[in-house]
Amino acid sequence: MRTRDLSYWLFLAPVLLALTLVVIIPMLLGVYYSFTSWNGIVTGGFVGLQNYIDLLKDERFLASLWFTTKFSVVSVILINFIGLSLALIVTSRIKSSKLLRTTFFMPNLIGGLILGFIWQFIFVKVFANIGQLMGIESLQGWLATTETGFWGLVILMSWQMAGYIMVIYIAYLEGLPQEVLEAAQLDCRNEYQRFRYVVFPLVAPAFTVSMFLTLSNTFKLYDQNLSLTAGGPYNSTEMVAMEIFKTAFTQNAFAYAQAKAVVFFVIVALVALVQVYINKRREVEM
Amino acid sequence: MKDYGLRKGLLVSMMLSAGALAACGAEEETTAATAGEDEVTVDVFQFKVEFKEQFETLAAQYEEENPGVNIEVTTVGGGEDYGAALRSRFASGDEPSIFNIGGPQDVADWKANLTDLTDTEAANAALDGTLEGVTVESEVLGLPYNQEGYGFIYNTRILEEAGVDPASITDLASLEAAVEKIDSQKEDLGLDAVFALPGKETWVTGLHLSNTFLAPEFDNNVLTAFDAPEVTFEYGEAFKKILDLQNEYSVQPTLSLDYSMQVEELFSMERVAIIQQGNWVYGSIAGIDQELADSGIGMIPIPVDGYDEGGLPVGVPMYWAVNSEENPEVVEASKAFLDWMYTSEAGKTAVLEDFKFIPAYEGYDTSKISDPMSKAIYDAAEAGETIGWVFMGYPTGWGQDQLGADIQKYLSGEANWEEVTESAKTAWSTDRSN
Repeated sequence: MRTRDLSYWLFLAPVLLALTLVVIIPMLLGVYYSFTSWNGIVTGGFVGLQNYIDLLKDERFLASLWFTTKFSVVSVILINFIGLSLALIVTSRIKSSKLLRTTFFMPNLIGGLILGFIWQFIFVKVFANIGQLMGIESLQGWLATTETGFWGLVILMSWQMAGYIMVIYIAYLEGLPQEVLEAAQLDCRNEYQRFRYVVFPLVAPAFTVSMFLTLSNTFKLYDQNLSLTAGGPYNSTEMVAMEIFKTAFTQNAFAYAQAKAVVFFVIVALVALVQVYINKRREVEM
Repeated sequence: MKDYGLRKGLLVSMMLSAGALAACGAEEETTAATAGEDEVTVDVFQFKVEFKEQFETLAAQYEEENPGVNIEVTTVGGGEDYGAALRSRFASGDEPSIFNIGGPQDVADWKANLTDLTDTEAANAALDGTLEGVTVESEVLGLPYNQEGYGFIYNTRILEEAGVDPASITDLASLEAAVEKIDSQKEDLGLDAVFALPGKETWVTGLHLSNTFLAPEFDNNVLTAFDAPEVTFEYGEAFKKILDLQNEYSVQPTLSLDYSMQVEELFSMERVAIIQQGNWVYGSIAGIDQELADSGIGMIPIPVDGYDEGGLPVGVPMYWAVNSEENPEVVEASKAFLDWMYTSEAGKTAVLEDFKFIPAYEGYDTSKISDPMSKAIYDAAEAGETIGWVFMGYPTGWGQDQLGADIQKYLSGEANWEEVTESAKTAWSTDRSN
């Protein structure tokens, strides 16, 4: 038993080493830097909690936090709704379901930056031209206002992630025991009831996983944000990750940005843990 | 069986850690090898992507003429963040010998790493005023790249067909009259609008446009701006008028208009008559319409209402700095290379003809400057009809992130002009009092 223990740790050693080197140590260093006045070149003195106190009064940071929260809530709902709908479509016995699966998954294979630029073109050029032809005023000037920037980001994110989330739901849907489904077919009055009382509770674990993934992904969003709106207009579509980057690299306040990053980390971790805890309770044993 | 597991585990972890260690060892070996011989390696880390190839060719020529000197060029710029990349180079311990700094703020930040370049030939040959931003207590800490300038770039043919003489545009009133005249004929001229104001680019409004109206307030001097505890917007009203004029007669919506749409899509395709840009757009225009770039455009100053001594804002975009933390041979070799580039005959030819720079140094045959905008800027500089680039002395991030963003608010109707200037003033004094 002891030797098995040793070999277990030896197998684990490289991973633990790597994790310590690239995640744990930098994180501890980051926490340390957040208590200094480091400007990226010289470390500067120890300033205690000053950075954290400043941060509570930082309107721009709080605004970006609020924007990110709104964006995440809307995106999580939309992505999961679309993802589950797509999964239900491709698992129902329709023709060309394989082709559809591939098509829906495709956007996820394209990098965030490139997607951002493609959608920028669609929103700014294609929308404007369609608007001109059809005489629809609201299609003009997309991404030039806060609202269109917000919905632009939501559309881009849903388009990219829904296919990925669909795959997770497919896995769970296809794993459902056939006899339960057949029993449900007999007991339930219609398709809706079958879905609501049998299928939905059984795929609850899939919700836990996919909500965790969408929530953490949308909260940490950076590249799509950068390439689609770059935070504009007037920094109103700036999400937290981007705000932190700008604090560090355009205002040269590295330690202050580090403090924001620590707070951001705590928030994301808390939100994710709470979400997983709540979702776990709703899962049912098969 | 258990032994097998143990050995395999050991083997895997040993292989992985060996790999990690080998990566560190290898680098030390190569540096030791180059330092061992009589060869000096000058490691250049620079930002200007536009002249990367031409610069590398010149470096190769220098290496040939000076055996024993090895010039290594790394370029990070364009869309990339040079400042961030430079910081990571220093933080990782892989410090470059020659790097770029932008102005007083950079000088203050990097002070500990800057070599005094006062005794170099290039520093002596530098034109009056070009060293202002990098001189601290009579020590010259950087050498200018070149000069650049901006203003209103117009399309000669369109103005002619509209019956507007660019030479007659000398103040706000004549500009307004000209714009209205062009606007009334825009159908016939095939124009989308008179201007293309790229409201999306906060540097165009927050740095360049604001500079024109803040320079008089700071005596055209970047150091005065850098030391100023507050900004008053003395010519704020004039600033507003020009911004409104550009916005009113621009292709809409200005907030989603960016640099490439402004220069490549609208101006180069002759869909607008006037844009606010600098001589750096020459390459982009030439890439689309060589003839237009060479003979179809001109540049005039942005008029400041109520201020007579205006002119084209001309300045130095970046400076070369030599890392004082390197060993003495490398520092000397770095200085020698920069001197050679700006003062030798071969270097001068390259600077003027290959780099297509507007020289910031004396002793150049400036009749060889071919593109019309560079010519306009050089002529203005020679006649002394220029204003300084004071935006290099703005508080860090103030121009783009504060003022530029607030101007976007103004353009979208979310804020009035009063609010824009008030919040910019507050941000300036808060930053300076820290």
